[in-house]
Amino acid sequence: MANDTGGPRRAAIRDGLLTEPLDDLSKVRLQGSRCRQCGEVTLGRNSLCPNCGGSELEVVPLSDRGELWTYTVVRHKPPGDYRGPEPFRPFGLGLVELPDGLRVMSPIEGDVDSLTVGMPLTLKVAVHHTGPSGEDVVAFAFAPAR
Amino acid sequence: MSDVVILGAGIHPFGRFDTSYEEIGATAAAAALADAGVAWKDIQAAYLARMYLPATSGARILRRLGSTDIPIVDVEAACASGGVALRQAILAIRSGEADLVMVLGTEKMPRGFMDPRMIYAPWQIEMGMSLNPSYWSMRARRHMHEFGTTDLHIAKVAYKNHRNSVHNPNAMYRKEFSLEEIANSPLVCDPIRRLEICAPNDGAAAVIVASKERAAKLGGNPITIAACCHSIARFSADFRCPADSMSATANNPGPTEVTGHMAYERAGLGPDDIDCFEVQDTDAFCEVEIYEELGLCGLGEAGRLIDEGTTEIGGAKPVNMSGGLISKGEPVGASHLGQVVEIVSQLRGQSGKRQVEGAKVGLAHVLGAGGNCAVTILKR
Repeated sequence: MANDTGGPRRAAIRDGLLTEPLDDLSKVRLQGSRCRQCGEVTLGRNSLCPNCGGSELEVVPLSDRGELWTYTVVRHKPPGDYRGPEPFRPFGLGLVELPDGLRVMSPIEGDVDSLTVGMPLTLKVAVHHTGPSGEDVVAFAFAPAR
Repeated sequence: MSDVVILGAGIHPFGRFDTSYEEIGATAAAAALADAGVAWKDIQAAYLARMYLPATSGARILRRLGSTDIPIVDVEAACASGGVALRQAILAIRSGEADLVMVLGTEKMPRGFMDPRMIYAPWQIEMGMSLNPSYWSMRARRHMHEFGTTDLHIAKVAYKNHRNSVHNPNAMYRKEFSLEEIANSPLVCDPIRRLEICAPNDGAAAVIVASKERAAKLGGNPITIAACCHSIARFSADFRCPADSMSATANNPGPTEVTGHMAYERAGLGPDDIDCFEVQDTDAFCEVEIYEELGLCGLGEAGRLIDEGTTEIGGAKPVNMSGGLISKGEPVGASHLGQVVEIVSQLRGQSGKRQVEGAKVGLAHVLGAGGNCAVTILKR
């Protein structure tokens, strides 16, 4: 997970969620697991298909473009170990429909009052917070497409 | 399969109390025994529904009623825990192992948003995707987009439930709010507002169930359990799992539709045969969606149902006569049994100003994390 390029060590916020390496974040994508039996694509690297139970899964990079399928605005600081910006700022949260056949739950960047169902979005991968061992923890969001 | 009936029901008010969970639970258990006219020493097994209590809470609570060596089993299925515990009692009776069983739901919960570690992975919490209402709100937004459901429809459900609760001594808030107050209350997760959402709290409810044969010997006017079904969401069929992603291609029916259908089939009844409903209104939109999934109206028609007043007390299909979770609060393990207590009261004609005239059949529904759904149908 750590890179060897001399920069800060980096790790994906969830193992198997992002393509690697993580040194150039502009090239990192979300990845999914496509079931060879039923064809369902699920988020991240999975060993079993949660639809049909199949065990032959192919890890595939997911599209970095999608459309907002539905959304909300989180107006209160989420409970527990939330690692977003301090002080808390309300943020968009939505399901982003990707052409790969799934909708991914994701923070939505930008003005919370300009969100609309169907708006085009692009993936943003960035360092989210510092982990317990001083590593840069890399997470994702979607932002309005330019 | 032998019929199983409810002999008695008891409740400890839902709210926030300084008393221990043991005392809250024992109060409801004792009330159910008294209502059934049954002694604790005659109970052969007991099930406790709870989510936030420590290990062996059932035994710790029920020991207060007197020395016992019966099996006492704690059951957990998130918001559906009470339905699952009731179902276990029914199965115990149908198996012939027991013919007189207690089902208790008890909870004591901290204020504010529920502890996310109970149902979310650490990375979801770190990214801020661990607020339960955000998932419900996304359902609401999509429904508004597809069917033209409005903020006002959602507010009207909250208005109805708060107003009903004024007549329920066991509800937490018992306060009527104007539509303006509801529509102007702070947003929690758009489009859901503070007065449209339930709060976790403390409470307990219990029923005494028996085989029909045992009930006949004991006398009284038992309520028949026509169905008590539990299921969990099929692949990608519900947001509450809680999902990190959803399939865009699978098209499975949601857990309410599946469990509701199962219960209707088991009872040999349909939505038009039900006189009153208590359903999961963790937020007001959730109730909107349930109207459609339980077949009170067609897909996309819930807004019209609200506008026509169909689900008010006095309407053709009254929903949440008790005030619902929005006004009672949601002591998770106790909530379904609280609904059952309300339906029992309605079927006995004991609900005072919130009584549905002539109610003969009632349905209780809960839905929560993991896509756990339980539906119970009672008839007199």
